[in-house]
Amino acid sequence: MRRWGYRHVITPLVESMDVLDLGLGSEQRRRLFKFTDAHGDVVALVGERTVPVARLVAGKLRTAALPLRLCYAGPVLSTDEGRFHHRRETYQVGAELIGAAGPVADAEVIALAARCMEATGIRRYQIDVGHAEFFHGIMDAVRLPDDIKAAVRSALAARDFVALEALLEGTPLRSAEHELLLRFPALRGGPEILDAAGGLVRNRRSEAALSELAQVRELLAAHGIGDVVVLDLGAIRDFDYYTGVIFEGYGPDFGRPVAQGGRYDTLLERFGRPAPATGFMIQLDLVSEMLTRGAALPRIDAALAWSGKGLGTALRLASTLRLFGMRAIVDTEARSPEDARAWWEAVGAANLVHCTSDTRASWTSAGKRARTLPPEQVAARLAGGAQ
Amino acid sequence: MTVSIAIPTGALTGGALELLNKARLADLSADELGRRLLIDGADLRVILVRPADVPAYVDHGAADLGIVGKDILWESPGTHYELVDLRFGGCRLVLAVPDTSGLDGPDTWPPLLRVATKYPRTAMAWFETRGQAVDLVRLHGSVELAPQVGLVDAIVDLTATGRTLRENRLRITGVLGESTARLIANQASMKTRTAAVQSVVSRLREAT
Repeated sequence: MRRWGYRHVITPLVESMDVLDLGLGSEQRRRLFKFTDAHGDVVALVGERTVPVARLVAGKLRTAALPLRLCYAGPVLSTDEGRFHHRRETYQVGAELIGAAGPVADAEVIALAARCMEATGIRRYQIDVGHAEFFHGIMDAVRLPDDIKAAVRSALAARDFVALEALLEGTPLRSAEHELLLRFPALRGGPEILDAAGGLVRNRRSEAALSELAQVRELLAAHGIGDVVVLDLGAIRDFDYYTGVIFEGYGPDFGRPVAQGGRYDTLLERFGRPAPATGFMIQLDLVSEMLTRGAALPRIDAALAWSGKGLGTALRLASTLRLFGMRAIVDTEARSPEDARAWWEAVGAANLVHCTSDTRASWTSAGKRARTLPPEQVAARLAGGAQ
Repeated sequence: MTVSIAIPTGALTGGALELLNKARLADLSADELGRRLLIDGADLRVILVRPADVPAYVDHGAADLGIVGKDILWESPGTHYELVDLRFGGCRLVLAVPDTSGLDGPDTWPPLLRVATKYPRTAMAWFETRGQAVDLVRLHGSVELAPQVGLVDAIVDLTATGRTLRENRLRITGVLGESTARLIANQASMKTRTAAVQSVVSRLREAT
């Protein structure tokens, strides 16, 4: 994220409840671990880090010129254990672009989220991009009594399409918007979905959302991630919080999103510094679970054992290999050649190099016989193979 | 790409297998499935699990789809999509009291009503919206017995025909909800394997 010009900020794990009250919905507040400090004030362990960042921007950073690009990493806590896949403590890395509106800013944050997912080592992934305003426009346009509308919202929030269907069937007026709501989970695909949906909606908010999505899609193609983007008009998220483009990142064969984000233009004004904003977070604990399940633990390229005067050689060789981006570990104690082989197997590295002096190293590659070469040649061959 | 579906043991197994057969997705007998618990077909992998476990399998992505009674979903809301009312396995979640009891409705309830149930979450929410304080006793079976031996004043339990209630000299004084079998889907499966999952969903929808 540093390469994208995002400045790392550290926000507190313990926040005053007064601050969190301003930014969070009632459901999120309920899930906080709360306690009182020495003065009797109620404080809580943060359940997400966007609100603390917003407070920072409106507080300590109030004189800093917008737009601000900030990123953070840290644990967040929730009292909601749910079923087995919600944990009390999760680790989130995220970024916020504050003070910039429009598709260019939206696309920047989505592209950054995609690159971060790549950086974690996920090889195949997909980013679903939707728009909160598309939904708001439909809800404006759909002709329903207020109590039914509220029920429609909560049915959608619970992803309960059986209840939604029952609600809409009971209403006399049918419109294109009814159809759109019922087909919500299926409103996804490539750019063609925008045209299809454009033919069905007749309200300005939804139409504006569709044209913004088209722009974001083009920008993402220019960012080089066009092939991982899927447009998802039926994305169901916290629609009271998000105000524009929203997105979620999915890895392969994992039952829930590992990254999520979107535009939230109304949060900053609650802290007294109105500004458009967009951001995302990746749940690193989920990513690591996904990666370890695939048995894709980081591969060690070289295990460097040593004996006698070989330690200096081993350390120099390791530095060289690391310069070439290889993963190398140096043994912490001297070993005989036989012990070194056992250690190598335990480490599970691709290569073993046993350094015995300044000039000689014995190199064994998995499944091959040992060769004794000068250390420079071992380095050259290993690094050459890595290219 | 194979799609997996979790179907529940017990009362809904027959209806679920009939539906899969009608949708030409799998032709399995309950015996066959009972012996193996997991059957891989050409397009569909069928997994047999306990009814209350279906949402867990689906929410966690071990199954793309699941067939489960709405009564289970009331108790364990999750991140899945609830897509289709499959219209079999109909039953009601009711409040029942002994025939001899005078507790006929909210006006006659005592300040603290003692209720036994296998559905504590649904029952608590229902009483809360009616402003009634309840002492909930969570039981795992033979709930009908609880009022007869003086453990509780009333029970909240599932009934299809009402026969078990009548046999235990209980009468229904309120309905909390009506349940049928539902088709649920994992959220990520809907997004990352859209075509394969949607095709199974629409075949099941048509066969309903």
